[in-house]
Amino acid sequence: MTSLRIAGGTIYDPANGIDGAVGDICIRDGTIVADLPADAPRVDAAGMVVMAGAIDIHAHVAASSVNQARRLLPEQHAADPFAAPRLTSVVANGGTGDVVIPRSGTGGTVPSTFTTGYRYAGLGYTTVFDAAVAPISARDTHAQFDDTPIVDTGCFVLMGNDAYLLKQIAAGEKERARQYVAWLLGATKGYSVKIVNPGGVELWKENVREVRSLDDAVGDPKVTPRAILETLTEAANELNLPHPVHIHCNNLGQAGNVATTLESMRTTAGRRAHFTHLQFHAYAGERGKTWSSGAKQITEYLAQHPETSGDVGQVMFGQACTLTADGAVEYMLHKSGGGRWVNVDIELETGCGIVPYTYRDKAAVAALQWVVGLELFLLSPDPWRLVLSTDHPNGGTFLSYPRLIHLLMDRAFRDEQLKAINQKMIAGSALADGLAREYTLQEIAIITRAGPARLLGLSNKGHLGPGADADVTVYTRDDDRTRMFETPRYVVKAGTLVVEEGQLRRAPAGARHSVRPEYDRAVERDIKTYMDRYLTVAFENYPA
Amino acid sequence: MSDADADAPPPTSAARGTDPAAGQITDHVTCLGCGCGCDDISVVVRAGKITEARNACRIGAQWFGDGVVPNRVRVGGQDATIERAIEAAADTIGKADGVLVYVADDVSCEAQRAAIAIADMLHGTVDSATSSTAAGGILAAQRRGRAAATLGEIRNRADVILFWGVDLADRYPRFTKRYAPDPEGLFVPQGRIGRAVIVVDVGAENGPSDADFRIRVSANEEVAAQALTRAAILGRAAPNAAPDSLDARTAALASKLMAGKYVALITDGEPVAGRDPSRAEGMLAIAESLNASTRCALITLRAGGNRVGVDAVLTWQTGYPMAVDFARGYPRYVPRSEATADRIADRKVSAALVVGSSKSVPDAVREYLADVRCVVVGPHASESTLQTAVAIDTGVAGIHEGGMAFRTDDIPLRLRPALSGARSARETLLALAATLAGRPSGPA
Repeated sequence: MTSLRIAGGTIYDPANGIDGAVGDICIRDGTIVADLPADAPRVDAAGMVVMAGAIDIHAHVAASSVNQARRLLPEQHAADPFAAPRLTSVVANGGTGDVVIPRSGTGGTVPSTFTTGYRYAGLGYTTVFDAAVAPISARDTHAQFDDTPIVDTGCFVLMGNDAYLLKQIAAGEKERARQYVAWLLGATKGYSVKIVNPGGVELWKENVREVRSLDDAVGDPKVTPRAILETLTEAANELNLPHPVHIHCNNLGQAGNVATTLESMRTTAGRRAHFTHLQFHAYAGERGKTWSSGAKQITEYLAQHPETSGDVGQVMFGQACTLTADGAVEYMLHKSGGGRWVNVDIELETGCGIVPYTYRDKAAVAALQWVVGLELFLLSPDPWRLVLSTDHPNGGTFLSYPRLIHLLMDRAFRDEQLKAINQKMIAGSALADGLAREYTLQEIAIITRAGPARLLGLSNKGHLGPGADADVTVYTRDDDRTRMFETPRYVVKAGTLVVEEGQLRRAPAGARHSVRPEYDRAVERDIKTYMDRYLTVAFENYPA
Repeated sequence: MSDADADAPPPTSAARGTDPAAGQITDHVTCLGCGCGCDDISVVVRAGKITEARNACRIGAQWFGDGVVPNRVRVGGQDATIERAIEAAADTIGKADGVLVYVADDVSCEAQRAAIAIADMLHGTVDSATSSTAAGGILAAQRRGRAAATLGEIRNRADVILFWGVDLADRYPRFTKRYAPDPEGLFVPQGRIGRAVIVVDVGAENGPSDADFRIRVSANEEVAAQALTRAAILGRAAPNAAPDSLDARTAALASKLMAGKYVALITDGEPVAGRDPSRAEGMLAIAESLNASTRCALITLRAGGNRVGVDAVLTWQTGYPMAVDFARGYPRYVPRSEATADRIADRKVSAALVVGSSKSVPDAVREYLADVRCVVVGPHASESTLQTAVAIDTGVAGIHEGGMAFRTDDIPLRLRPALSGARSARETLLALAATLAGRPSGPA
C-alpha cells in the first residue's frame, strides 16, 4: 500500500483543536499517521486549505424510492449526461467486482449511482448515508451502494410506521420492540433507526391525512406518534447505537409545525436523538393562515439540550426532487402544484412519495423556507450539533453544497440574494433584520466533517489525527467560496488519491457501515410467526 | 463487492435430508416463472434433477422443469474451451461497429449489472423485453407518475380489489391465493369475504369468475371506459345515461370503487397483443383520481425471468429503465412505442451480446438480429437459433445461480439455487468484461 504526504497545507481539524495551522498530513495504508520518511511521495498543498473528507449525514442516494425517482425523471437525465471519467488507475468497482470499468451515467436531481459516487467525491465528500431505507427493500439499497463508487456508505432503516413495531407498542411489549429493532438492523445491514412522520404514514394508508397531535391514535389508542418516538428513541439508546435515532417529525412542511417539532424534541429529552431536515419542521404561524419562521425556537431548544442534534435541510433555489417515506406530504404537494406524483405504499412497513419540485426565489413559501434554513445555521448555538444538509435531493441537490457554504461564509453574498427574493413572509424574520454571522472555515469543517462524524459515532472519520481514516480534501483558497468548495484540488479516500489537480483519477470502492446489535434469538420465533402470517417475503429470505 | 453479494444461506434453509430416495429438498426457493416472485417453493432434487417444485403453480412448475441445462461452450459452431470462447466473444463484440447488448430473461441482477457495464464500455445499446412488452406503461408513468403499492400492502389492506382485463388464472395463477383477494390480511382479517372483488372483462381477457360486481367492455371500448370511469370518480359522469350504456356501466363501477377504503387496481403490464397501448395511462389516471377521496394503488403485473430487474438495474446505472444507447459515451434514452419495438436502435448494429435465455427474445427482436453475429451467454445458449458466433451455456438464475431478482412490484428477492454445477452467467460476464477492459486498444 502507498504512502502520501500532503505537505504544507493550512489545516482545519476541529476535532483535534487545529484551526488553520500550517503542517503536513501523513498517510500510510489508508490511515493517517504521525509521520513518514522524508522521501515518501508528496503533494504540495502550500497555501491550500486541508480538511478531512466531508460526510453527508442525510441524503437519498440508494433506496428503492430513489430508483423510483430516477425512473420518473428522464428529461433531467437527458439534460445532464455524464461521460465515463478518464481514470488513470483502475482499482475497483465498475459494477463488476474486481474489474474496474469507468462508468458513464446521468445527473439531474437524482443522478445514476456511478455519477453519484463520482460527483460526491469530486466535491470532497467521502462518506454518504442514505437516510430512508424500507427494510424489505434493503437488498436493493445495498446493490445500489455496490454501484456507488468511492464514498463510504450506510443507511438508516425506516421503522416509525412498521406494523410489527406498532403491535408491540399496543401490547406494551417494550422489551420485544427493542429486540425487534436490534434484529431488524442486523437483518437489513442498517446503521441506525429512522423514524419518518411517526404513525403518520400508517394513517395515510388508512386515508387519515393529517396528524393533529402527538397523541393521535394510530389504530390502537395506545399507539401514538409520541409512543412511537419514545419506544424507538429508548430502544436505540439502550442498544448503544453509534447514531441512535434519526427523526423526521410529523407535519413536515406545514405552517405552525414548529410546535410539533418542539413537542417531539421534548418527548425525547434526556436521550440522544437526531432531528433531521429541521428547516422543513420550523415554521411558526397557523395552518392554512399565516407562515413565519420558527427557527429561533428550535435553536433555543438546542441550546438547552446537548443530547439533541439536527441537520438543517436547507432549501436552495432551483430544481429539486422531493422524495420521502412521508407519502401524505407528497400528495399534498402534488395537489398544490399539479405536477407528477408517485406514491408507493410499502407493505406494513412504510411508504414512499415523490414529486419533482422547483423552489423559486419569487415564490413566498420557498423564500421563507430559504430564510428559515439560513436562520437555523446562523442562530445555531453549536455547529457540532446542527450540521449541513439539503436533504438531497429534497431541498436541493448535493451539488448545491458549495453555494450553501458560500451563503454561510459571506454575508454580502447572502444579503444580495435576500434582497432579491419574495419578501411577503419574511418581514420581521431574524435574517431580514440582519444576521451578521459569517461561518469560519473551522466552522465549515465542523458542520461538514467533524460534527457529522461525531453525531454518527464514526470515531475514525471527520478528523485528521493519527489513526483516522485517510479521507482528506484539499481546496485551493478562493474568496469565491462556491468556486473553492466546488473544485477541490485533491481528494484522498482511504489513502487513495481520487482527485488530482481537480480531476477524478481513481475510483476505489467505498466501505459499508452497518451495525449488528445483540438481541435475544428467542424473538425470532415471534417475528417469524408474524411474517409467515402477513408478509410476502419469507422470514428466511428477509431481506438483505 | 460488498458482503451484500455473499449469498450464504441462512441457517434455517436448504437440505433437510440426504436420503437419495427422498431427494434433496431446498426450501424457500424464489420462483421467477412470472412476476409474482413466490418465495415459498420447496424444490426436490433427485439424482441431479428437479423432480418436484412444491407450492409452484403450473407456470412455476414449467419454469423449474427438471433443471437440466446443457453445459457447452461453442465457437463458430464447434466446441471450445471457456477461455477461447471468452476471447472469441471479446473479438466479436469488442471490434464490432455498433453493439447491441440484449438482456433477456433468467439472469440475476448481478449478471445484468455486468452486462450493462459491457454495453457502457463498448458504447453500445442496451435493451430488454421491457421495450417490446411494457414500454407503454413505463412511458405513461414517466409522464404522469403513479400511485402504487407493494403486493403485501394489497394483501393486508385492500378492501376493494378491481381486476381490469387481466386473466390471472392463465397468467399469474397464484396471485389470488397468495396476494389478493383470498388471504387473510392484517387489516382484512376475514380474507376474501372481507373484500369486494370487482372485475372489468376486456374483450377476451376475463377476470376471476367469482366477482361481486363485474362489467364487460369490448377491447375497442377499453380506453373510453377508463376515461368515463375517471370522469365519474371526479363527479363528472354524464347525466341521464341510458341503462346498460358504457356511461352507466362505468358510473356504477366508479361508485363501487369509491366505496372502498383502500382500493387495489390490478392490471396486466404485459398484456396479450391487440390491447390499446393507451390503456396504461388510463389505469394510472383512475388510480390517481381515486386518491382524492380514498386510497388507491395500481398494481401492474409483469412477466417473470427477472425482467423487472433489468428495469431497476438500468435505472440505477443509467437513469433510464429501458432502451439505453451509449453511442455518445453516455446513456441516452431511446424508448420506442410498442408498435416499433423491433427497431432496436437508430444505428447499425453489427454484433450483439445476448444475455439470458435466448428463447425469451421476442420475435421482432429476433428478426432484427437475423443478420447480426451474436454472442449468447445464458441458459441453453448452445441451442439458440440466433446467428450464434459464440455460445456459452450457463445456469438459470434462481435455479442454478444465486443473487438478486425483482418482483413485479420492485421488491428485491433473494435467489436460492437448488442445483449446482452449471456455469455462472455473472462470472462469465465478469470474465468477458475483464478481457475487454484489459485489451490495449480498449473500447472506443
